[in-house]
Amino acid sequence: MKRNLYALLSLLMLASLVLAACGGGAAATEEAPAATEAPAAEEEAVPDINLATYDGTSLSVPAEECNGDYIGEFQSIEATDDHTVVFTLCRPDPAFLSKIAFSVYSIYPSEWIESTAGGDGTRTSEGLEAPIGTGPYMISEWNRGESITFKANPNYWGDAPAADTLVFRWSSESAARLLELQSGTVDGIDNVGPDDFDVVRGDANLSLNERPALNVFYIGFTNTFAPFDNQDVRQAVAKGIDRQRIVDNFYPAGSEVASHFTPCSIPGGCEGDDWYDFDPVAAKEQLAAAGFPDGFSTKIYYRDVVRSYLPQVSNVAQDIQAQLKENLNIDAEIVVMESGAFIEESTAGRLDGMYLLGWGADYPHPTNFLDYHFGAANPQFGNQSPTYYEPIAKAAQIADPAESAPLYAEANNALKEFVPMIPVAHGGSGTAYRADVTGQQASPLGNELFSAMDPGGRDVFVWMQNAEPISLFCADESDGESLRACEQVTEALYSYEINGTAAVPALAEKCEPNASLDVWTCTLRQGVTFSDGSAFDASDVVATFNMGLNTGSPTHVGNTNAWEYYDYLWGLMKKPGQ
Amino acid sequence: MENDETKIPQLDKEGLSHKSVNLWQITWRRLFRRRSALVGMGILGLLVFIALTAQWLAPYGFDEVLIGKENVSSREKPCIHLLGCPADQPQHLAGIDGNVRDQYSRLLYGARLSLMVGFSTVTFAIIIGTVLGAIAGYFGGWWDNIIMRFMDVLLAFPSLLLAIAIVTVLGPGLINALIAIGIVSIPAYARVMRASVLTVREMEYVSATRALGGSNMQILFLRILPNALTPLIVQGTLGIASAILDAAALSFLGLGAQPPTPEWGSMLGAERNQVFTAPHLVFYPGLMIMLTVLSFNLIGDGLRDALDPRLAHSS
Repeated sequence: MKRNLYALLSLLMLASLVLAACGGGAAATEEAPAATEAPAAEEEAVPDINLATYDGTSLSVPAEECNGDYIGEFQSIEATDDHTVVFTLCRPDPAFLSKIAFSVYSIYPSEWIESTAGGDGTRTSEGLEAPIGTGPYMISEWNRGESITFKANPNYWGDAPAADTLVFRWSSESAARLLELQSGTVDGIDNVGPDDFDVVRGDANLSLNERPALNVFYIGFTNTFAPFDNQDVRQAVAKGIDRQRIVDNFYPAGSEVASHFTPCSIPGGCEGDDWYDFDPVAAKEQLAAAGFPDGFSTKIYYRDVVRSYLPQVSNVAQDIQAQLKENLNIDAEIVVMESGAFIEESTAGRLDGMYLLGWGADYPHPTNFLDYHFGAANPQFGNQSPTYYEPIAKAAQIADPAESAPLYAEANNALKEFVPMIPVAHGGSGTAYRADVTGQQASPLGNELFSAMDPGGRDVFVWMQNAEPISLFCADESDGESLRACEQVTEALYSYEINGTAAVPALAEKCEPNASLDVWTCTLRQGVTFSDGSAFDASDVVATFNMGLNTGSPTHVGNTNAWEYYDYLWGLMKKPGQ
Repeated sequence: MENDETKIPQLDKEGLSHKSVNLWQITWRRLFRRRSALVGMGILGLLVFIALTAQWLAPYGFDEVLIGKENVSSREKPCIHLLGCPADQPQHLAGIDGNVRDQYSRLLYGARLSLMVGFSTVTFAIIIGTVLGAIAGYFGGWWDNIIMRFMDVLLAFPSLLLAIAIVTVLGPGLINALIAIGIVSIPAYARVMRASVLTVREMEYVSATRALGGSNMQILFLRILPNALTPLIVQGTLGIASAILDAAALSFLGLGAQPPTPEWGSMLGAERNQVFTAPHLVFYPGLMIMLTVLSFNLIGDGLRDALDPRLAHSS
């Protein structure tokens, strides 16, 4: 009896030690791939060379650099008089107006740009939290963690907003947002939960606005990791996932299965063949032929955040896991990552399994989808194939949609062949407002303008979105929740029409190209003043672009200094060092 | 003098030998006379039965997706034939979850996990805690100081917070969550054990063993440990309840069981956003966690009373 107790004790001890050892071992093997991949990220140490010269009314790079190592788009931006700005490009850009209308390129007063450029490499807190613009509202107070209060801008050049005060609040839980709307404490909410669409429709006090699906959800692979280095494996997975089932079960009405990476509602978006049909038998055969008749083990990475392209991420991940097991006998382990770490790892191409990510349109043009993801230099999917990045690069410089269509068809067919990712769905989403709100909006680009809505005669309009803005210095932000707040305060030369995607004049009365589309002349609106009372003129435009593009300028300081959209849509005015 | 445990042992049928009634039999009998403990044991018995027979009781697999197999949609309300659900529709006692799986089957399989979590973490913690506490109590001196100060440090953290920290280091997953919960529950057992050892250490029978030449190990494991066990059992039973609750909390936060594992806490966490549109998906896992924790708490309370010699004649 006593001996038994001894034996039992020692046995249990041993068992627990083994348990602990196994747990530790598993953790150690997980870390191993990250460690071996690390050196790839720290290759370049040579600093870039700044090419820009700026004198207050003109910002330019030497013209010969356009044919050299400079990959940016602007050759010069010049204020030829108080209300005329001429943009000279290195190459034709048919999407210029759509791009210039993006709110990241909103115009700030030149004095403010200088006075808020902190000496320590970031904007001052005034610059990050209380931007000065020409928009219908101005920032009154940002109560961190709680709300942002906007007041109507008395100097606004357009129609004064119906509600004097605008309040932004946020909650990451769709149930909480809906509850606030139902109880009347907010006037409008973003991203109604997919299951709540019918609840909102059935409530006479609320009204639902469906947002067109101008986004894409895709399953990405990094093709430098086995077994995804094998094109047949990627094709087999593409054929073995029932995308219709995912859209039917986990997306709200208005969503569609992705036939191409670019949504069809974007002109020229879906040239070429449709994506593979679901065919589990063929998929299994192809996987077996590629050397995996019994499947393999992999991981599914995602971040647990709600985006309109992926409203129910955890359910979708589990369904993909179940489908892989059922159709291809692939064992996939689900790994949830912190949002920032996930974006960093996935975009650098360091995830060794599949990952669930998506993209929302910034401006309605195929270049916004294809160039960003499938450019030759993007490591996100591992090694990119010239079969698609060459036609994509060629098409980006052609203005006539009819002329670029064959190139996009070629690129899309090559994407289907190479399968760097599987486009799954274009997700619909929706906003909901109290029924007495007039002028309700659900912008396809996610930029609702609250000055054009009237909250049933009330003085205060309260809006509830998914998350708190990161900062309000949107020239250096890329997060949609931040951009929406900035859009109430600042304006760019053009803007997007309400509830649409067409570029309409804002601070510019018009911007006209020359015949070859590489010189755009913008005539600015006159008599506009910023909310701090200073007058708006052409030098403010040049100063704003100098701040964003001129890496040598003392004003080129933002929040994180990533300048993601200035870099990605225009290219910073620099070239790689020798 | 009507209490069973105080009766003189009866002769058996042959009238030759008699069996002595030991402490455990007494405890067992006392426990059975407590209604709350009986309820607790009833619930636990049911849960153990469910856990053992889940694969036969459950109408579907825990990861069986019903899309294309039955005409049901995501997050459908429960369909129970007895309560008026049309007989031509398949019965789903607890409705359909967000991934179109049978919630009832998942709940049944979940019992397995939760009991496994409770028993394994507490066993782990009791073994380590007992050894540490016994060493600290028996040898005293700097052994005592080092071990108990370390336990004090562990106790200084809120247990769930410490568990989250450990899981963050080890990485999310059920096994790692178990280790984390096991580690944070060690100090409670070490303390209880040390206190018992301190009281038993100076007893005459211990001195007698020492006088007879018993080694430290013999004294500690054969003389002291068995006599210091009772408070540990009570603490352990109550500890299972809090371990299950902690594991559910970790899974709710996404740090414990990973999908598609049918862990109640993660089922609760996955559907927390649908609490108004599909309350059954949150209610039933919550109810199961509550019942399990309640059963262990009731049994633990009953055991404490039954094992307490001061209460021996009061019931």
